[in-house]
Amino acid sequence: MTSSPGGIDARALRLLRHPVLRRLAQAFFVAFLLMVFAFLLIRLIPGDPAMILLGDEATEEDVIAYRKLLGIDGSIPSQFGRYVSNLVRGDFGVSIRSREPVLSIVGKRLPVSLWLTVTTIVMTIGLALPLGVAAALYRRTWFGHAFQIGASVLVATPVFFSGLLLILLFAVQVNLAPIAGYHAGFPANLYYLWLPALTINCVLVPVLSRILQSSIVETSSEEFVEAAIIRGTQGWRFYWRYLLRPSLAPTIAALGYFAATVVSYAVIIEIIFNLPGLGMTLVDAVRNRDYPLVQGIVFLSGLLVVGLTFMADLVNGWLDPRAKIR
Amino acid sequence: MTPGIAADSPVGRLRQVELRRHWRQLNAESRWGVVILAVILVLSVSVPLLSPNDPYGFVDQPLQPPSAAFLFGTDHLGRDLLVRVFAAARLDIALAILGVSVPIVIGTFIGTLAGTTRNRVAETVWDGLVNALTAFPEIILVLGIVAMVGADIRGLLIAIWISRWAQYARIARAKSLALRDAEFVQAAQVLGYSQLRILVRHIMPNVFSEALAYALSDFIFIIVIIGGLSFLGLGVTPPTPEWGAMLAEGRLYLRTEPWLILFPGFFLSLTAIGVALLARGLERISKGEDE
Repeated sequence: MTSSPGGIDARALRLLRHPVLRRLAQAFFVAFLLMVFAFLLIRLIPGDPAMILLGDEATEEDVIAYRKLLGIDGSIPSQFGRYVSNLVRGDFGVSIRSREPVLSIVGKRLPVSLWLTVTTIVMTIGLALPLGVAAALYRRTWFGHAFQIGASVLVATPVFFSGLLLILLFAVQVNLAPIAGYHAGFPANLYYLWLPALTINCVLVPVLSRILQSSIVETSSEEFVEAAIIRGTQGWRFYWRYLLRPSLAPTIAALGYFAATVVSYAVIIEIIFNLPGLGMTLVDAVRNRDYPLVQGIVFLSGLLVVGLTFMADLVNGWLDPRAKIR
Repeated sequence: MTPGIAADSPVGRLRQVELRRHWRQLNAESRWGVVILAVILVLSVSVPLLSPNDPYGFVDQPLQPPSAAFLFGTDHLGRDLLVRVFAAARLDIALAILGVSVPIVIGTFIGTLAGTTRNRVAETVWDGLVNALTAFPEIILVLGIVAMVGADIRGLLIAIWISRWAQYARIARAKSLALRDAEFVQAAQVLGYSQLRILVRHIMPNVFSEALAYALSDFIFIIVIIGGLSFLGLGVTPPTPEWGAMLAEGRLYLRTEPWLILFPGFFLSLTAIGVALLARGLERISKGEDE
């Protein structure tokens, strides 16, 4: 990425070498490879996909039409060329089942998944931050030990079990949440989203608060913390600027890293809680062998994670000068 | 104890001594992990073997609560839940081991290969490849592959193998980057050993220990994926006893017969907790934090 383009003055060159730009170029390269993987995915089908979908009694014309629909007619390089140019123009193909463009299906279902993700992350921050700080400050007391044990148990409990337990507790025993379902529109949708979000956080919060805890413990032995104490820095300013802010970077980086996990678990959560989001669409598409829809959702979810990781990197650089993107 | 070696023979006694020494080296966490896993393994073998009931057989009225005759009650079709839970343990653990063992070998080999090459272009492309493969949300990639290969046990295993090797390759590459200039590798080169021999006999064994440590945490993830996809009806399908599939079946009776999900879910979580404790304990031992 840093080859010297002739004729460009030094300032432009420096800009080209800017770390953020280089990370961006890297992200684009990864996005391109995601495209290649998504393209190759349909080639994992053993046999002729068109024949699988149509059955043995299909006519020749039908098979040819289906191959065209799936984008598997012509040579492999020409297929790939068409695939890429279609994607760039925002054409992700057509769902075999409903004949609706993949992108418009995704557009319809995405808001539910996004609301779930946002609710989850807000809840994550609200829970992991105080828990991590408390676990660091009181790590030698009973609270610290209880925290360790509780975190280990929660992390190892699969979401589809903890989700059912939470339904049993909050929807069946006490009537604080619906058993399943969804209604669009903020803030009414929060009533349907808080329990699914809590379920994902059963895994996420223990991991992140643990990272935050060990990171705070590490920061507190740094020289600049000692220097701040000696200078007499006190109160909120001390906690935020010298203890919490430098310790947040690994947590934010981990949050970026776990973005993929959140999106992953959201699939199962949407099925358990009957939320009509992208995850439910994907599972339905897998059941119906709707290959273009599966391909599109897999690619877009990868893209989403690349974007989120990139953003986490940027926030990281702002929070902690030591972790600035190199 | 290996069959054929009597406990009181010299070899047998040596084994016992060694086992005891290994046990003493463990810390509390890893000991708990070993105990939990041993109990589950023993139960998963003995319960289906000793019980008169078959995991597929109908033994009584459906949806009986736990009782002396049926410790875990009966499921919605009137099958013995106790036998089914531990038959499922056998299947789930076996599948998870199968799911871990292929990626660890393939990934370690590819990663070591990538770590020992000195080609700049290959390194850049490699980075992108692994980053891209690991950028896909795990369950979504597995779902995507299952959609193409087929929604059954075979498709599930293939999906896990394709999607999990990259992590091992990443670990192996980082480790072998450090090893390729080590003195014992240089010595092997001076001795004129072939590249492949150095790779497989000298570098890979050293990389493998780190990969094994990761494999323990990967095992948890894979057993959750197996259960998760079966829960969605896209992996192991009924009537085969499998924890995730049993949770999906029991979910319909959540309000009135919660034990249908409590027992399979509890043992699935307990297995994962056992492995997690073992992994954390071993990690702390290798860091020298304990004893």
